[in-house]
Amino acid sequence: MRTLVGQVVWKEVREIRRDPVTIGVALLLPLIMLFIFGSALSLDVRDAPLAVYDRDRSPASRALIEAFPQSGHFRIVKGLRGEREIGQVLDRGQARLVVVISEGFSRKLERGEGAEVQTLADGSFPATAMLVLGYADGVLQAFEAERVEAAPPVELVTRVWFNAPLESVNYIVPGLFAVILMAFPPLLTALAVVREKESGSVQQIFVSPIRPYEFIIGKAIPYAGIAFLQMLMILTASLWWFAVPFLGSVPLFLAATVVYVLCTVGLGLLISSLTRSQLVAMLLALLFTLMPSFLFSGFLYPIYTMPLMMEIYTWLFPARHFIEISRGIAMKDVGLAVLWPQLLLLILYTTVVFAITARLFRKKVA
Amino acid sequence: MMPEFGRLAALARKEMIYFLRDRVILALILFLYTAEVLMCVYALTLDVQDLPTAVSDLDRTVASRELIDRFDQSGYFRIDHSAAREAELEELLDRGEVLAAIVVPPGFAEDLTRHPPASVQLILDGADAQTASIAQGYADRIVQQLARERATSPEGQVTIEHQARVWYIPELTDRHFTVLSMIALAGMMVGVITAAAGIVREKEAGTIEQLLVSPVRPTELIAAKMIPPLVVGLVALFPALVVAAAVGVPLEGGLALFLLFSAMFLLGSMAMGILIATFTETLQQALLMSFFVLFPVLFLSGTLVPAESMPQWLQLVIELSPLYHYLEGLLGLFLKGVGLEVLWPRLAATTLIALVLLAVALGRLRRRLG
Repeated sequence: MRTLVGQVVWKEVREIRRDPVTIGVALLLPLIMLFIFGSALSLDVRDAPLAVYDRDRSPASRALIEAFPQSGHFRIVKGLRGEREIGQVLDRGQARLVVVISEGFSRKLERGEGAEVQTLADGSFPATAMLVLGYADGVLQAFEAERVEAAPPVELVTRVWFNAPLESVNYIVPGLFAVILMAFPPLLTALAVVREKESGSVQQIFVSPIRPYEFIIGKAIPYAGIAFLQMLMILTASLWWFAVPFLGSVPLFLAATVVYVLCTVGLGLLISSLTRSQLVAMLLALLFTLMPSFLFSGFLYPIYTMPLMMEIYTWLFPARHFIEISRGIAMKDVGLAVLWPQLLLLILYTTVVFAITARLFRKKVA
Repeated sequence: MMPEFGRLAALARKEMIYFLRDRVILALILFLYTAEVLMCVYALTLDVQDLPTAVSDLDRTVASRELIDRFDQSGYFRIDHSAAREAELEELLDRGEVLAAIVVPPGFAEDLTRHPPASVQLILDGADAQTASIAQGYADRIVQQLARERATSPEGQVTIEHQARVWYIPELTDRHFTVLSMIALAGMMVGVITAAAGIVREKEAGTIEQLLVSPVRPTELIAAKMIPPLVVGLVALFPALVVAAAVGVPLEGGLALFLLFSAMFLLGSMAMGILIATFTETLQQALLMSFFVLFPVLFLSGTLVPAESMPQWLQLVIELSPLYHYLEGLLGLFLKGVGLEVLWPRLAATTLIALVLLAVALGRLRRRLG
């Protein structure tokens, strides 16, 4: 029995070795993804294009305008001459924010009457608009504070835990571990089985003495191996290249990875048991493993803001639980004492996926 | 001319029948354009609202309670735990039960009136840096508001009145943007994958040789292959338009311009798929390769992350992405209500990219088949 599984594994390994595209995708793409996401996935805004409409033209208004690029968040792209140009620069996307300094700004500022400054943000990129408006607020308050002698009666002292410099890369990378492993292993595994179904060679396997579950295990092992290798690669690369802090226990993380890897491969097998067309398998993998692990896992979009129904939906995707584990270990240095529910869920999930898959395969054979 | 057109029509008809035969694929495409878009609209937001927050009020005065109330009433923070000691806060944050904590130190009320400034501490869970930095901004605003109201000396009074307005989406929700970026992403995926699969399947099955010994020219073959995904891609936009209008994002610009823009974009996506097909031999390879290519393209487009947040060199790379120009076009058509007079550079760029890709793909295919 053991040897039959071994033979399926061996056959699969030989097929993978023969196919440079599969090897390339399996080993190169995770690193490329890590590199692109790690270096470019930040929602921070530096040098947002800013247009200014100065209707006051006084030393005070010019000082305020200069304060914007000095904050490091803005780059002045245009000085406007009229009301009409405001709409034009926003429509064309030349500026994300327009600052309008009203007439009499410096006079009112002297008298403490409430000098008016209007900011108009381009809301078509909401994430940027929110940040840009916040920055503008900050610039105005700093400008105001410089002119006021008295200290404010209350001040807010903010401390950030787990990621003190608020670096995007520090939380993106631990999330990426979950996303990258959901991107490839399910697809690779699903295509490997469906390919045999499409070409009909799976029939030969089913008439051979191999039992369906042996076939499944044999197919799963090489791809689980590849997936684990992918994790080791991206873990090494992220610690070495991005120097992302990893505070917690690496052995615990790797143990959780083994479960997660089996889970991703299991999902691939589940997809393969549902269809006989590679194109359908690809679309299923895209829609039900990759996209949810990206969108509904807390990787980028926080889960607590989702409506209840969607929050329940996120439970269907193991990436959500693995992200909690990997961020917990890497960023918060917590261990099993805190993370056991997530780990238990992953184990349960994986078991259920394999059980369903085995059942579906058995039915096909019968 | 006439018989050639007839040949193309016959081929296109064959491809169309083949494409429409697979109901599962059509259903999945429809799912992508409607249900997936809808779920994203309802679930995804980067804004901070009702952030689970713990509070540790060590002052226990009217002033401290008023401050905490302000956080709770703001709509940005939802105070659902209170802790007596810092150790408890630590546990709540570790478990992820709260994402922020407010600590009001003892003597807050006294400091506020006698020895200003009184300080309030905010602890944020930086494990989600985006949420943390937005929440920090809101907390700043709440405390400053309090400071302004409390300021007694004339110098401390408001000197600048900041009126912020948001154009196109006054209420500033992510919903509008999400709908449009999901529609664009769906078009990209469908275009690349179906075109790549359509060509490679023929190669793998060996039927491409049969087609080549027939009077069909390679160009006609490709054109016929591209028609079904193009038609399906354009038709799928209509349910997507309904979904968009239902969530409050109606098409403001012209329908004709929207369809033209989308057709050019789909053409570019399919050209990418055909190009992938020329590099691969089997369907498995083509699908994996599409994945390989789609990933950076989807990401480097401004759809998931705004282009401005990227490093300078990537902002230049993005200019080459048809998805980037198409998304800008959609934002213009749906949110800004502008027309060709503003969007022509985007349309021109989308078309140009599509034509270049198509020319390269056709050149490669002809050489390989010739």
